[in-house]
Amino acid sequence: MNLLRAEFRRLLATRMWRGLLLAAALLGGGLMGAMALVGPQNFSPPMPGLDTGTGVRSLLGFLGYTAFVPAAVGALAVTSEYRHRTAAVTFLFAPRRGQVLAAKLAAFGGAGLAYGVILAGTAAGALFGVAAIRGISLGLPTGTVLGLLARVGLAMVVFLLIGVGVGALLRNQVAALSVVIGYLYLGEPLLMMIPGVNRLYPVLPGGATAALTDFTYLADAISQEVGSTAVHLLPPAGGALLLTAYALTAALLATILTLRRDIT
Amino acid sequence: MNGRPLTIEVSRLSKRYGPVAAVRDLSFTVEPGVVTGFLGPNGAGKTTTMRMLTGLVSPTSGTATIGGRPYRRLRQPSRAVGAVFDASAFHPGHTARDHLRVYAAMGGYPDGRVTELLELLDLAGAADRRTHGFSTGMRQRLTLATALLGDPRVLLLDEPSNGLDPEGVRWLRGFLRRLADEGRTVLISSHVLHEMQQLVDDVVVIRRGELVAAGPWSQLAGPPAVLVRSPDADRLITALHGHRVETVEPGRLRVHGLDAPAVAGLAARHQVRVHELVAENTSLEELFLDLTSDKAATP
Repeated sequence: MNLLRAEFRRLLATRMWRGLLLAAALLGGGLMGAMALVGPQNFSPPMPGLDTGTGVRSLLGFLGYTAFVPAAVGALAVTSEYRHRTAAVTFLFAPRRGQVLAAKLAAFGGAGLAYGVILAGTAAGALFGVAAIRGISLGLPTGTVLGLLARVGLAMVVFLLIGVGVGALLRNQVAALSVVIGYLYLGEPLLMMIPGVNRLYPVLPGGATAALTDFTYLADAISQEVGSTAVHLLPPAGGALLLTAYALTAALLATILTLRRDIT
Repeated sequence: MNGRPLTIEVSRLSKRYGPVAAVRDLSFTVEPGVVTGFLGPNGAGKTTTMRMLTGLVSPTSGTATIGGRPYRRLRQPSRAVGAVFDASAFHPGHTARDHLRVYAAMGGYPDGRVTELLELLDLAGAADRRTHGFSTGMRQRLTLATALLGDPRVLLLDEPSNGLDPEGVRWLRGFLRRLADEGRTVLISSHVLHEMQQLVDDVVVIRRGELVAAGPWSQLAGPPAVLVRSPDADRLITALHGHRVETVEPGRLRVHGLDAPAVAGLAARHQVRVHELVAENTSLEELFLDLTSDKAATP
């Protein structure tokens, strides 16, 4: 309990915390608002409009694609303990390192939830707002849209925890950020372009996230580009389970490795 | 101070990093109520030993205990031990108060303790400033404040005077002396002998991870000796009646058992002219010079 309180204090005392919430609002409300205002039919290449189910899913899918932001934040927060040498102080106060990591994961789970709620909430506001202003009736029922947004929001919690896991694993800030951002933002789309490897996409973190909203636009576009067969995503529940498994694995690996490692 | 005094015991402690033996079969004891200097040249294994004492680094073999228990088995470690390893271990975006509040929460100490320490270490004025603008002295005091949150009975400081100005070093001396006088166990490492001279009571000297000497400073240092050049050497010998005096050559004496100020005082009282007064290296200084000068020797 003391550890959890300490980790929340640590998190709330930095400016990063406010930046994180601001990013959630900007990416949720801002990005969604801009995409809805422009309209998917005016994208290049054009996509089905907001009055179709595919169009709405695509916008929500793009929102899921911003998951590298909370992941980067998670990695940044954990590695800053090593960078600023507070990790040793923390383990002096709490030599049971497993408990420290558990408290961190819980605190960051909370932070990820706040991020996800703001992201999904502002995105919902922007989407419904723009639709109302432009007189478009969305291609999916309101309940379905809200459900999909909730999934995207929860996916953010998972990605933040994946970031925490990678950070605790690598400890070097630059390395962890490069891995998290490089892989999620650049690496995965690149992998999709390699014939054969792209069959793995559905079980990679990005593919699992896309499965949550049944967002195939990006994958389809790329498979068309390179002329490979279309990618079949997992069902949403499968995607959710897989994402959770990724987060748990990252957390577990980080915990086990941190337990015995020398802090020099 | 809360609870009984705690003794540090290091027993046959070793640490290997691959082929490199950082610490080899090291044994020593650190007693409460005194300041103990942990001395040795850079790379002798002081930091590794202190990190093994606090459970940050796992020993390859041997044990290090505080009050009879390994650090990781202490019930409330921050109440027993306060340790400072880095002169600056805080998030640059945290204020001094934020930083202390994080660790106060971790140790289960009330926020009042944070305010108390900010005042004790003269940081009250800077409490709500972000630490990235802190001076070396302020950083030093904030790390000390962190270590002292739990009012610990043992204090471990790794090279605390690195980068401190002379005034900061003087302040630190007084501060540590007070903590030891309260019955705490104070272990402080340094690679600079003369910094420790007026501070420590006991010393533990290591080189290449092995124990070289341990015991009270006064015993290891041996009695002081002073070389005196005087045109009135005969009269000075008379004035120094009762002390052991050697005549090195005509006009040059070696006085045993007195330091330079004492000899100068005696000479003044007896109106004896003195042209030169040189304090001779004590045996501890000789030992330390040997340790630091044979770095080129084979390992």
